[in-house]
Amino acid sequence: MSVHAIVGLLATALLTATPVLLAMLGETLTERAGIVNLGVEGQMLVGAAAGFAANHVSGNPWLGLAVGALAGMALSSVHAFLCLGLGVNQIASGLAIMFLGNGLSSFYGTPLVGQQIAGFHGLEHSWVAAIPLAGEFLAQLTPTVYLGLALVVACGLFLYRTQWGLVWRSAGESADALRMLGKHPAAVRLIAVLTGGVFTGLAGAALSVDYTRTWVEQMTAGRGLLAVGLVIVARWSPWLALPVALIYGLSDALSLRLQSAGFDLSPYLLGTLPYVVPLIVLLLSYRASQRGTSMPQELAGVFRGMA
Amino acid sequence: MKSPWVRALSDRLFVPVGGIAVFLLLAAAFFHFNGYPPLNIFGQIVQGAFGSALSINTTLTKTIPILFCALATALPARMGLVSVGAEGQLYFGALTGTAAVLAMTAAPIWQLLPAALALTIAGGALWGAIPGLLRAMLGVNETIVTILMNYIGIQLVEYAVYGPWKDAGNLGWPATIAFPRAAKFPPLTLGTLSSNWALVIAVLLALVLHVFMERSRLGTALGLLRSNPRVARMAGLSYARHAVVVMALAGGLAGLAGWVQTANVQGHLQPDISSGYGYVGFLVAWLAGQNFLRIIPLSLVMGGLLSSGDALQLFAQMPFANTVVMQALVFISVLGVGAWRAKRRAVS
Repeated sequence: MSVHAIVGLLATALLTATPVLLAMLGETLTERAGIVNLGVEGQMLVGAAAGFAANHVSGNPWLGLAVGALAGMALSSVHAFLCLGLGVNQIASGLAIMFLGNGLSSFYGTPLVGQQIAGFHGLEHSWVAAIPLAGEFLAQLTPTVYLGLALVVACGLFLYRTQWGLVWRSAGESADALRMLGKHPAAVRLIAVLTGGVFTGLAGAALSVDYTRTWVEQMTAGRGLLAVGLVIVARWSPWLALPVALIYGLSDALSLRLQSAGFDLSPYLLGTLPYVVPLIVLLLSYRASQRGTSMPQELAGVFRGMA
Repeated sequence: MKSPWVRALSDRLFVPVGGIAVFLLLAAAFFHFNGYPPLNIFGQIVQGAFGSALSINTTLTKTIPILFCALATALPARMGLVSVGAEGQLYFGALTGTAAVLAMTAAPIWQLLPAALALTIAGGALWGAIPGLLRAMLGVNETIVTILMNYIGIQLVEYAVYGPWKDAGNLGWPATIAFPRAAKFPPLTLGTLSSNWALVIAVLLALVLHVFMERSRLGTALGLLRSNPRVARMAGLSYARHAVVVMALAGGLAGLAGWVQTANVQGHLQPDISSGYGYVGFLVAWLAGQNFLRIIPLSLVMGGLLSSGDALQLFAQMPFANTVVMQALVFISVLGVGAWRAKRRAVS
């Protein structure tokens, strides 16, 4: 493999990984405050449909991303209402959100099927491409990739280096300790669920507006649920979310690359790679993540004694 | 001053009645907001589900896979496992069952059907046992594993029907050969009603499972494993063994949904075996409170909702996805009302 091919593969991996990375960051923030949201898949779908529609109508991809993020937040508010307001089991509520997002996006997305959008301008002819050495690589990336990378840094600094980040993480470790400090865990969690909704809606919009530039029913194809699983692999750390999302991106990019290289294996078998590889990584890292101190303690009950 | 039995009755009815009331309000708001007259649409839903012999038969056809998948969700839930894997088990079971049809296409029904069913159950059981084993050995969350395995199962069926098992006679259409009658569940007619024996099998299995859960050692063991794993271990119950066996049994049940769908409804193996029956079954099991008896009527209601979705698409030009929205609203309403009542009880 030439350097050229490796650079291309890495760029494809980053492009593919970005929606998953954004969803992982959102779920990391939510779970760090002590709430699990399995509805990520539905929130991504709603974000993808709304974002695509907004871009289609306005012609502005940035507006598409913003509307997608808002749609994700709107759906996540249902999860917040069910879990925090009524005390519904978080797993059950998350799955309800998944169904609702799936249904609503398919229902309202029907007229969007087959429509086309231009998305963002490529960077091939911009000043980025003229940067020595790295220019070729950097120009292959899109604005959402840069947005995703910036948000990794923002989330990492926020959680570990700010006062609010400490309060946020305390809500996930011990609601009682936070109450002792005179803060309200429920309020922190509400904000955490809604912020997670913004990120996952953005993730869906990044998929439809920037990556595929089309809308198809159920187009997220498990990426949202995969993100929930990968958050565990990344041990609830925004910093680790990037390399873990890249594992997904690389396995997906590799399956595409092998297909186009005429590799003698069915594309449908190769298509299982983006699920099989993260699943194996999840298995390998699961025990360590449970034994270590990385898991927010308030989640322990949700993950263990469910139903 | 209420008499005790009136209070007991209102206690039992509060969640179902309250849930249905909230659902009807939400659904009416949804239809109204989208410019459809709610009452008219409600009428069409009932009509489309149970209004004629034809619609009742369609409803029954859709009820069967939902019923199997609901059983496949409720059984692991009895020991506290949240499996969302019925969809993938359905696909993988149909895939392995098809191997029997391809290997012995001309065999008589007393050979082919049992062989196909055995392979179907084995395939579904394998797809269910894997997350059970991972949960038991490594403690990996079974909800996430089952969902990821759904996508893998669906891809494997696509691989088979676009690849080695594609019948050249289909002119490029991805599907296997048409199944012989000997691979199908025999038909069952009663007056104008017509269905097949899978319906009887599914209902019987629900009844058997109910009796087992209420009356056998296994039922108590599962309940103990769910509510108090520590006590269960002291009583000599192996969490690992129960998790694997229960998940395998559940997978076999979901596999049967795949077989009735593939052999009887579609007549060959093709990519879109299920219109989300695994997920609908999950909803039904949770709405039923994982009670095997309540699963039977609830599956019928959901089957009706799905079959009316076809009618609404045809007559009201409403996207079929409205049925998914309706399912989600039912789920949210019942969950919400149930939790609200539990909360108020805890306060008082």
